[in-house]
This record gives sequence, C-alpha cells and structure tokens, in this order.
Amino acid sequence: MAKLPTPQMLMASRPELPKESWLDIKPEFAPGSYCYPEKKETMELLHMPNPHDWDPSAEDWNLPENWEQILCDAFEERLQKHRSLKLFMDICVRCGACADKCHFFLGTNDPKNMPVLRAELLRSLYRRDHTMLGKLLGKKVGARDWDKSVVKELFYYAYQCTECRRCSLFCPYGIDTAEITAIVRELMHEVGLGTHWIMDPVKNCSFTGNHLGIKPHSFKEIVEMLADDCETVTGIRPKTPFNEKGHEILFITPSGDVFADPGIYTFMGYLLLFHELDLDYTFSTYASEGGNFGSFTSFNMAKKLNAKMYAEAERLGVKWILGGECGHMWRVVNQYMETYNGPTPPNMTIPKSPITGTVFKNAAATKMVHITEFTADLIRHGKIKLDPSRNDHIITTFHDSCNPARAMGLLEEPRYILKHVCNHFVEMPENTIREQTFCCGAGSGLNTEEIMELRMRSGMPRGNALRYVQQKYGVNHMACCCAIDRATLPPLANYWAPGVNVSGIHELVANALVMKGEAKRTMDLRQEDLPNVDADEAEAEEGR
Amino acid sequence: MQTAKLLANLKDSLAEQWTLAVFASYPEKSLPFLKTQRDPFTNPVASMIREAAGTLFEAIAGEDLDVEKVKTSLERFVKIRAVQEFTPSQAVGVIYLLKPLLRKELLPSMGSDLAGYLEMESRVDTLALLAFDMYMTDKERVAEIRVTEIRNQYAQLKRWAQHLNAQAPLGEFAGCGQS
Repeated sequence: MAKLPTPQMLMASRPELPKESWLDIKPEFAPGSYCYPEKKETMELLHMPNPHDWDPSAEDWNLPENWEQILCDAFEERLQKHRSLKLFMDICVRCGACADKCHFFLGTNDPKNMPVLRAELLRSLYRRDHTMLGKLLGKKVGARDWDKSVVKELFYYAYQCTECRRCSLFCPYGIDTAEITAIVRELMHEVGLGTHWIMDPVKNCSFTGNHLGIKPHSFKEIVEMLADDCETVTGIRPKTPFNEKGHEILFITPSGDVFADPGIYTFMGYLLLFHELDLDYTFSTYASEGGNFGSFTSFNMAKKLNAKMYAEAERLGVKWILGGECGHMWRVVNQYMETYNGPTPPNMTIPKSPITGTVFKNAAATKMVHITEFTADLIRHGKIKLDPSRNDHIITTFHDSCNPARAMGLLEEPRYILKHVCNHFVEMPENTIREQTFCCGAGSGLNTEEIMELRMRSGMPRGNALRYVQQKYGVNHMACCCAIDRATLPPLANYWAPGVNVSGIHELVANALVMKGEAKRTMDLRQEDLPNVDADEAEAEEGR
Repeated sequence: MQTAKLLANLKDSLAEQWTLAVFASYPEKSLPFLKTQRDPFTNPVASMIREAAGTLFEAIAGEDLDVEKVKTSLERFVKIRAVQEFTPSQAVGVIYLLKPLLRKELLPSMGSDLAGYLEMESRVDTLALLAFDMYMTDKERVAEIRVTEIRNQYAQLKRWAQHLNAQAPLGEFAGCGQS
C-alpha cells in the first residue's frame, strides 16, 4: 500500500551522513544552474578548438573522441608554461583559510564552492599524473582519474567562480584561485565547451569592436544620441570625437555603457566632464570595448582583444590612454597588458594630465590611467567646479569592484571623488569593502539572465551588506566603478535591498559638475526632477 | 498563557534545535562552517536562519507581534531559501520542522491543555503560509528582474532603432516586402 511521505521526508534533502565522499557527489545540471552553451558557428569563426553542438543538461556532451588525451596534454602544456599554476597545484596545505571567503560558497553552501575544494577538483587530476605519490598510491593520496563526469564537474564549478580573488586575499601562500579557474576554463575550451554570454561578445569585440557587434557608424550615432540627452539636461551638447588622429588622449571604456541602462548615464558623465575640460581626446570604434571578454576564455584570447588598445593608440597617434570605469579591464591592463602586448607603441609617453600637469608615474609601463585617478586629481587641484548639493537626495555607499580594488589597489580615488560630489556617503561593513569587497556575484561572464537565481544567491553577501546600510542609515544609492557592476547590481539591489539605485561614479560627478554656460539644472542625467529645484523659477532665470 | 510561559523557558533550546534542523538541509561538509561563525557578514546564511528562528518562537508563543514585523524578520531567510536550490516545500516547508520539536519538547508538559497546544501549533501554520506568500513574491521578483535586465541591456539600441524609423522618409520603407 502506497503511503504519503511525511513532511520531514519531503524536506530532508540529504541523508544524515552521505555514503559518498564530497568529491563523489556530482552536481546536477538543473536549468538555472548553468549558462547556455555557445553556438558551434561562433566557435568555428574564432578558430576555437573542437567546436561542436552540445547541451549542458544532456547526458552526452558530444566531446571529441580523444577528449581525455586532449585535456591531459593541454593541462601538461599549461603546467609547463605557467610556473604559477604548478606552484598553486603543489603548495596548498588545505588550511581552509579561503574556504568561507567565497561569495559562491556563502550563497550556495555547496562545499565544492569553497575555493580550496574547487581547486581540489583540478588538483586531484594533477596528482595522478604529476606527483610521485599520486602515481604510486592513486586514490589514497587524493588522486583521481579523468572521466566525463569530471569534465562536467569542472565546467560547472569553473562557471561558479567570478575570478574575484577574494579568497586569494586570505590565502597565506597567495594562491590565486582566479588563475586556477581561468586555466580550467581554458581546458574546457580545448574540448569545445564555452558559454554563449562570453563567446558571443568575444566574437563581436574581435570582429567589430563593441560587445554587441554594432557597426561603427551606428555605434557613433548612439553616442551622439547620448550627447543630445546631455544637451537636454545641461543645455550644452558635448563633442563626440571618433577615430580622429592627432589627439593627445584615446579614451576607452566598456561598450556596455553605450547600450545599457543605467551605464549610459556614466557615459554621459564622461562626455560632459571632457567637454567642460576641453580635453584633447578621441574615441575609437574598433577599441570601443574596454572590457576584455577574452580574459574569461583564455589567456590568448585576452591578449588578442587587449591588443586593440595599443593598435588603435598607435594608429591614432595618441600619447596615452584614459580608461573608463570598468572592472576586469583593469586587471588585464594592470597585471597582464605589458606582458601580452608591451612595450607600448613609440608614440606613447608617460601619461601627464593636461589640466593639472600631474604625471601618472604609476602608469609608466602601460600608459593607461584610470578615470577615477584622473578625476580625483582634477578635484584635488580644484580644476572643476562642483555643487554636491545637487546630489543631496542621495545617501550613497560605494561598492568596490573586485578587480580595481584587489588587482590594482584602487581604493581611495573613488571615495575621494564621491565625498566631493555627494554630501552623504556611508560605508558598508568593514569586512565587505575595500580589499575584502564582496563580488557582485556575476562577474567574469556570468551576468546572463538564465542563471538569475544563481546570481541572486552568489551576490547575496554583497546584497546582505547593502541591505544592512539601507536599513541602518537610509542608504538609497550605491556607486560603483565597473560596467558589469552597473549591469549586475541593479537586479541584485532590487532583490536584496529594493529601493537602492545603482550608478557609476561619473554619473554623480556630472550631476554635480557646474559647467561653464550651462542652463540651470532642474533634472539629473536620468532626466528625473532634482528635488528642491523650482522648474518655473529655472525657466524664468534662463529667460532673463 | 500557560503556553507562553512554558515556551519562554524552552525558547532558546528549541530555536537552536530548529536552526540545526534547517542547517541539515545543506550539504554535510558545509555544516561545521554554518555552526561556528556568528558574524552576519562572514556567515550570512546562518545569520538569516538564526534571525528567523528567534522570530518564529516569539510568534508561536503568541507574543505581541504584528504580521508586518514577523514578515520583516523572516524576509532575509525566505529570500535566500527562494534562490537556493530547493523545491518550494524544502525552501519554506522547513518551518513545519517546528511541529515535531514542539510535540516532543512541549506537548508532554502541557498536560490536559490540548486546546492551548493546538492553538499554538496553528500559529506554525500561519507562519508557514506567510512565508509561502513571501516566497512567491520573491520568485516573481526574480522573474521580473530577468525581464527588466533583458530590456535594459538593449535599451539604447531600441531607442536608436526607433530614432532611425522616425527620421527615415516614408518613401524609403514604401518598397519593403515588394519584389
């Protein structure tokens, strides 16, 4: 006779003590837990190895026949090439200092999302072929064989790591888990496994320039539309120089800020600031994507996409590059660019602000300056007039984006700017900011809508800290300096702390910027009415 | 009133037992961490479960709590359960894990006051129903967020396309679809 299960039976998701070891409990590819795969045609177009059709939820992923040999050879090759990888495989003592620092672990409570155990997925394979004890004693010393379920597992967890490097901060040996994840993603690509949200932008950036593949003339028209919006708000239409030779500066920023809300307001902020400074600069349509989707794929692809920056700097004959508010772009620039594509073209010189005369010696190698360094320097020298009271309806906090914070130490400049353009600034709890900042939960190519639930749980540590300052201090705004953040934080805030708006820093800068010859501001860049401003009075003033 | 008094003595122990029962819905290897760390930002999931546990027992005891206050205290707990990999019954049904605890720990000491006990147990049902409503609101919000995100990603492209249409002279499109 069939009996209904008890409530406890329905709710118990696992037996008291599982029979298998943690390593043998395999992930389930349920919808919402994985990103969609990339199309075969795109992979072919990009000359990626072993392109094929596959479905992550299917039993068979149609791997190439000699998949194990390919993976073993590719792993061996990378161990030879990257001394750091070999070191990371060897030196971990499994102390667990990193275990509870990962936002994916904190949000999912899946032990394989502890950085130490996520790395162990690869380390166990390393032991079998590359350590004496592993060769002799196998499983007894934590070695294991490759099989197809191992490939699936590696794919699953390599895309549940945003390469944010919070764990590395706590590792006594400085093991960079992001690099381990990057290598696992490279290995997956060797057998034709990649995701659509990453590879499609790679294709577009590679062939056209921006991540959506919008043709240059159309891209320029969209930017001009944003300049029109600037005029609506300020009465001043900023210039939009494109592909012009002979300027001092090439400005490169993520193309997401040209297409997506609310990033466009940050882009408008740049246009207005540069116009006010009468900056001698140009955009490039080919190097119109500062973000490097290649860095989510392989080191070679990152190098290829990064090369566009210097190629365009050389073609356009600029002296240095000013870079916009982006996240991983700055990790690539700060840590890899010189090795990838250096030395810089001969026409480039150490960046010097044409407005203040400050020489950015920190950018001597790459000749690239972060926009918050540039603007903080302007404010420090009193070169721009600001009216922070225009942002008085905002109580803002600041989300340190992982890469600028941890990969280039950019901690003070954004805060310095924010405190000058806003009168109300509140920090989130100490263990969630600066070097210890929590990721938005969807960096490194994970900000795709099919994994929204996963993003809401992996971004929870950030959302939780935001919610805390919202409830305690009435925070209603979160500034950030990364285009992926501007895409991923609005949904996260909407879920965990509804009512908190998200913007880039330069949106707030432009709102506070008092421009020469501007009309009285009655609205902000989003064309929302500024509180405490009487529109009729403003009109009357303009008429006078 | 007798229920409230009895429960007051047992509250901490029952809340801890329920917290451990909810922890048990997570993988065994993660339990030591969930149990040990108390900082709300270092161990947010455990903090959310503990916050919910405190409120649940106050509500069950029949203390003076309005629905909104209960909902606010349960909000973080329901939000995280709604986006973790649980079935709906696992996500919010864990509130029903209070019943076996109450029956084991409280019922024997309530003597003949069965009505009082049942009234208290019904409050568990109320809490589970409230949590289920919140769970659905959260799920719907995720769906809405997904739609908004897709719309926002291409917001300027759409505007630009509309801008082009508005600018193009009518004649330019007159031949569309004709051979």
